[in-house]
Amino acid sequence: MNTTLIGRRRLLGAGLAAASLPLFDFGPAMAQQPNSIRMMWWGGDERARRTNGAIALFKEANPEVTIESESMGWDDYWARLATQVAGGNAPDFIQMDYRYMVEYARRGAIRPLDEYLGKELQIADFGQVNLDSCSVDGKLYGGNVGINAFAVFSDSAAWEEAGLEAPSYDTTWDEFSAKCAAFTAGNTRTRMRATADGSGQEGLFEVWLRTQGKALFHPDGTLGYDAADAGRWFAYWADLRKSKGCVAADVQALYKNSPETSPLVVGRAATDFVWSNGFESYQKLVAAELSLVGAPVLEGGEPGQYLKPSQMFSISETSESPVQTARLINFLINEPAGAKILGLDRGVPASPKIREAIKPDLSEAGRKVVDFISKVTPQVGPLPPSPPQGAGEVNALLIRISQEVGFDVSTPEQGGVNLVDEAAAILRRT
Amino acid sequence: MAAHNTVATSNARKQVAAGGWLWGAVRRNGAGYLFLAPWLIGFFCLTLGPALVSLYLSFTNYDLLTTPEFVGMQNYVRMATADPKFIASIRVTLLYVALSVPLKLAFALAVAMVLNRGMRGLPFYRAIFYLPSLLGTSVAIAVLWRQLFAADGMVNSLLAQFGVEGPSWISNPNYSLYTLVVLSVWQFGSPMIIFLAGLRQIPVDMYEAASLDGASPARQFFRITLPLLSPVIFFNVVIQTIEAFKAFTPAFIISGGSGGPINSTLFYTLYLYQEAFSYFRMGYASALAWVLVVLIAVFTAFSFLTTKYWVHYDD
Repeated sequence: MNTTLIGRRRLLGAGLAAASLPLFDFGPAMAQQPNSIRMMWWGGDERARRTNGAIALFKEANPEVTIESESMGWDDYWARLATQVAGGNAPDFIQMDYRYMVEYARRGAIRPLDEYLGKELQIADFGQVNLDSCSVDGKLYGGNVGINAFAVFSDSAAWEEAGLEAPSYDTTWDEFSAKCAAFTAGNTRTRMRATADGSGQEGLFEVWLRTQGKALFHPDGTLGYDAADAGRWFAYWADLRKSKGCVAADVQALYKNSPETSPLVVGRAATDFVWSNGFESYQKLVAAELSLVGAPVLEGGEPGQYLKPSQMFSISETSESPVQTARLINFLINEPAGAKILGLDRGVPASPKIREAIKPDLSEAGRKVVDFISKVTPQVGPLPPSPPQGAGEVNALLIRISQEVGFDVSTPEQGGVNLVDEAAAILRRT
Repeated sequence: MAAHNTVATSNARKQVAAGGWLWGAVRRNGAGYLFLAPWLIGFFCLTLGPALVSLYLSFTNYDLLTTPEFVGMQNYVRMATADPKFIASIRVTLLYVALSVPLKLAFALAVAMVLNRGMRGLPFYRAIFYLPSLLGTSVAIAVLWRQLFAADGMVNSLLAQFGVEGPSWISNPNYSLYTLVVLSVWQFGSPMIIFLAGLRQIPVDMYEAASLDGASPARQFFRITLPLLSPVIFFNVVIQTIEAFKAFTPAFIISGGSGGPINSTLFYTLYLYQEAFSYFRMGYASALAWVLVVLIAVFTAFSFLTTKYWVHYDD
């Protein structure tokens, strides 16, 4: 027995040591020469296919440049990027999100791109709005890769079968809930409800707040709503749950922020709420034809929607090949050859010229997204300020509290109070 | 004077000997150390080094992008006084340990006893039963589990045959943790193999003598099997408990990294991961890691202290 014990322990030790070896990644540190670009981005298979195709084309035209590209999921991406920036070996080419842009820019991890404007980066025709949305303290920190708006995806056929029209651009919040309740009465499909439970969807909550002149966050980084607002929000969804207009809490809890887990995709709801750049992926997973419109509106209210830079391409401060990287960025977002391959996967291109250029190659679903962006543009309000540190944690909190209300662990009013209290604590801490 | 001199020289000789000892050892065992070098380097650079750094970081605020800022005991104080998520994760983890370890071991022992009867094709069954342990911590199994226990999963299709409409087990806070317990019990293979080896060590003549004396099978189990197996049980309890404290993958995959719904699967390690890699509070996460180390150490020490009451070593 004794010998097995030691043998086991040793074996375990050896196994652990072997398992931790890959952590020692020597690659990146050695690969920094002026003509080599290391790029890192997040995204799934479809995006990888497109991105690698565009890179190959760039390499063909620029044989002197070597490009190393790595990609991963959203969560891993930010952990890895922060680690590499801390370790002084940040990738040259960084895919950046609006949420983290200010933090990285103010800490000097990404470099201002103004010196490349009009030279390597020809993006003046993006329009001031789309340059401003990628700027911090008056300096440009990234090339806008595409714009997004929050959307309502629907399986129109399922709605028609239930004897109703799918939600449209001018459906109000009250009409929406009435519609969903009516869906249940006319519905013939088993286990399907009108809509996903949107109470834990930050994007939808934000639109709802904005129609009432509130916001998720104030520009100073504090919460832009109070406990009563949040309570009303949870009550709205509690009513829908009661009328069986939206899916039950345990069905919604299966949603993990990915298309495959959406109640719409798994056939439990005829409508779901998603950022518009997700439309093509959703359509690929669903046999029925999907449509997309703007989020519900408030009669006499303010515009809730806004155009968000879906992501931007930035250059690390420590990059030794910023000029080549800037050229690559320009190729991807402002030259038809590259932009065509990327398509709409990262959002609708900001440049009107590129939008026109890629249109013929778009799928049916892709054209719908471009249409959607043009139709929703007259309805949008200003871009909200970049969210404060801790916003990601507040998002996770909103999901948790929405589940507490959904599973009847707390009342909507109590949920509102808890959300505001705990969110304030998170924002104070970071 | 002469005596004094002798003492001095003998001291000097000792010093020379001490200095030479290290060199001598290296010379004598050089080849051995050379062979050990990969492990030694691995241990000092990849295990001990980072561990010590994490101990230091646990007294700082560190977000990876800025330099660590020393804050003394603040992280530990926060944990003890102002962190409901910490309490929730401790509760979930303790419940998981308390449920999964005894169930898994009981199951492993039961299967081991059946296999110990010397049936035909034993190696085959042994391999089959061991298989889940090999796959258990893999992502694929966690994904499979999610499918089995989802709203439209196999478990509910089975229940539907009997007219029962089951809930979505993995996404209902009342059941989600138990699906993870079942997953853990299903991976009973490695303790089973150890039990089987232990059972083989118990002399058959003891059972023969006991049945001659008219002891029932149950009595034989409690009076012979359990006591003689107790060192093996103890070993399994310690190993499995440590494993259970460290459980991460199933909860991470099944809850999509959130520990949800409503923190019902927020394992301690998952909370630690969130703090470190979702919210970039490396200092606080390091403190959490050290508390886990202490927790496991205390538990293991406690187990060792109890051995004299129930573990029998036949000398």
